[in-house]
Amino acid sequence: MRELKDLARRLLEEGAVKVVIGYEEGPVGVRPVFVTRPADAEKLVFNSKCVQNLAAYLSRRRGHIARLGKPAIVVKGCDARAVAGLIRESQLKREDVVMIGIRCGGVSLQPSEEGPLTPATVADRCGGCESREPKLADHLLGALPPAPPKATRMSELMAQIEKMPVAERFRFWAEQFERCVRCNACREVCPMCFCERCIQDKSQPQWIETSPHARGNLSWHFTHAMHLAGRCSSCDECQRACPAGLPLGLLNRKMAEIVRNRFEYQVSDDPTVPSPIGAFKQQDPQEFIK
Amino acid sequence: MTSTGFEPKIAAFVCNWCTYTGADLAGTSRIQMATNVRIIRLPCTGRIDPLFIIKAFERGADGVIVSGCHPADCHYTAGNYHARRRFTLFNDFIEFLGIDSRRITFSWVSASEGQKWADIVNDTTARVRELGPFSGYRDLVRSGLTGGQDAGT
Amino acid sequence: MTFSISDSGLNALVDEVIASGTTVIAPAVIKLSAGERREYQKIGSAEKMALTGAIVSNSLKPFIMPPSVPLFRYTRAKAGVSLEPAAGKAQAAVVIGAQACDIAALEIVDRVMDWDYHDEVWFERRKATTVISLACTQADASCFCTAVGSGPDHPRGSDVQFLRKKGGYLARALTETGKAFCAKYGSHFEKVGDDADRDPLIKETREKVETNLKIDLGAIRSFLTRNFDHELWNDFGLRCHGCGACAFACPTCHCFDIVDEPEGITHGVRRRNWDTCQTAKFTVHASGHNPRKDQNSRIRQRVMHKFQIYPERFGDVLCTGCGRCVRVCAGGMNLLEILKVLGKSAEAKS
Repeated sequence: MRELKDLARRLLEEGAVKVVIGYEEGPVGVRPVFVTRPADAEKLVFNSKCVQNLAAYLSRRRGHIARLGKPAIVVKGCDARAVAGLIRESQLKREDVVMIGIRCGGVSLQPSEEGPLTPATVADRCGGCESREPKLADHLLGALPPAPPKATRMSELMAQIEKMPVAERFRFWAEQFERCVRCNACREVCPMCFCERCIQDKSQPQWIETSPHARGNLSWHFTHAMHLAGRCSSCDECQRACPAGLPLGLLNRKMAEIVRNRFEYQVSDDPTVPSPIGAFKQQDPQEFIK
Repeated sequence: MTSTGFEPKIAAFVCNWCTYTGADLAGTSRIQMATNVRIIRLPCTGRIDPLFIIKAFERGADGVIVSGCHPADCHYTAGNYHARRRFTLFNDFIEFLGIDSRRITFSWVSASEGQKWADIVNDTTARVRELGPFSGYRDLVRSGLTGGQDAGT
Repeated sequence: MTFSISDSGLNALVDEVIASGTTVIAPAVIKLSAGERREYQKIGSAEKMALTGAIVSNSLKPFIMPPSVPLFRYTRAKAGVSLEPAAGKAQAAVVIGAQACDIAALEIVDRVMDWDYHDEVWFERRKATTVISLACTQADASCFCTAVGSGPDHPRGSDVQFLRKKGGYLARALTETGKAFCAKYGSHFEKVGDDADRDPLIKETREKVETNLKIDLGAIRSFLTRNFDHELWNDFGLRCHGCGACAFACPTCHCFDIVDEPEGITHGVRRRNWDTCQTAKFTVHASGHNPRKDQNSRIRQRVMHKFQIYPERFGDVLCTGCGRCVRVCAGGMNLLEILKVLGKSAEAKS
């Protein structure tokens, strides 16, 4: 995308930013790139393989990236929600990042997937997306492509689970979590997981067993979903990153649905809209409380 | 007692100012109630991390009670409002994960509601006794559910 | 001695092994929400075996070194603490249809497991497992077994090596264990097996992998020894998220954590769990100091352990070129690329 390369080069030459965090074509698919030299701006691309949510790289925890200096970041609408989350939670100042928004026509499930998007190859979150033009942007590039096709695997699996009686659901998740090896890729790629010390790391006392057996894994994934309630930007990176192929996006999807139904709240890319957790209303639902 | 003799183990996370005092009142009033509940006292329901409830099930509790001050009566003004939102998410979410929300009772019990506390205890105990033991979570390590990787039991 | 076995003969053999009470581990298809994969699994019958299909997505590591394994159980009583070792749990197993990279890895890791301490938990499973490889007839852009001394049909570590041919497989018994296995199940094999019948795809696969990466391991090792502070390391770790998916998917990575898990007030279990040098907390000291506090130093550690430290100590690189680290990486890290750059730098400096 010529506009993107030119903009990035200009920002670097002018010293407006010290690094542009974007996407490049890697040896086996599109991957994140950190451009610090104006000439390297030629590496930047944007296409339907740009699945990754780059907002994770803005966390202060990543000292080796923070050291590079003020960043510009290429964002799709979903990514912008994550950056808004970081700003909302005081992890980042709005003026400390330059947002390069790209008008998006959807991305593929895998960053190596060539060809036009189909319901089989498109990422789960794209169908019906209402943020194809990121609002949180200093620059907005590209023409708006046609809307992406809709993948049905996640909604089908969700429906399948909801039809199951409770005991069967427990069995389903226990089977899934037997596969989890607690690599924590789901945590590390998540832009909203910026805790310097994760609850899993706490050992005096220990709250979550660190062993990767189904019991420890269930406690971890439950806690992770609760800690992301009302904050998750629904980027599904957790699911993509999972080496065991667990349907982690489902947990966050369900939580988002609960937050929407109960508190009429949807995570937005406006950092000034406060998060539902940490806030309350006098008339919050409590029909289940005796 | 059921015919199998199963007596549920129930953990109760209660706030110090209202429910704990209410429970105390139930005791001093000599109100008879089921003896299955182990009370854990916290300063406020706002201190209750959903992880406490999960941990209770993980360690073999069959049921959990969570109770605190009525909305607008929190000793710390807003603790129970924050808790209420958390409990809402928790209650809806655990059903999705396959934990029966009937095993958990959320309640507002004030310091003067000794009888209400006794009722909560009795109702919860009866309900959980009916549902049966919940060792599924605690025993997940030895589940051997799948033909997948050997977790090494 | 080369035998041959037909597809149906192999199925009958596998079913017989399973019926005898021995665990059979083979690639099988698993359906996940994101699609299908082929994974090594304990299988219940020969029909679950999938000897063709995608590159196997997990390694054999979970079967020899499970993600979480008890070391002993402890009980506290008035008299003191009693321990019950968890050893002796290894069941007889046969691995069928494994990729050469995965099997070679087991032998490579044997070295460190028998170094300062003979690791019974590892070796009891190793001794109980007969390993039958199947030469690969496919590779992708992330495979580089040939660059690290292995190959799609490399026999290293295999008790029996299968090579595909029309209607079945050639079977080469390579070790005493392998010979005993073929003898025990001899009724399924035919004595005659001509190597010339092997699927020509095997050779094509080797050639394909060779084009992915060619490096001088010795030169890279020397370069690594002398360039700890090279500026190259400033760039490699940028896109890495520090999760450790690579280390957990890797057949040769073997770092572990030991934890005590109470299961009650008076009893519990000590477990050994997988761990990874890629997480931020791996090297945190009790004082709070962290000698590897950014991802660059952690990536450097991983590469040096595999390509300098391990070969220096044990003679083998701690890598069999399976490519899983590349395939699972959410950040797009690519070990082939890193090795290429190191190779070029090594050349430039010499």
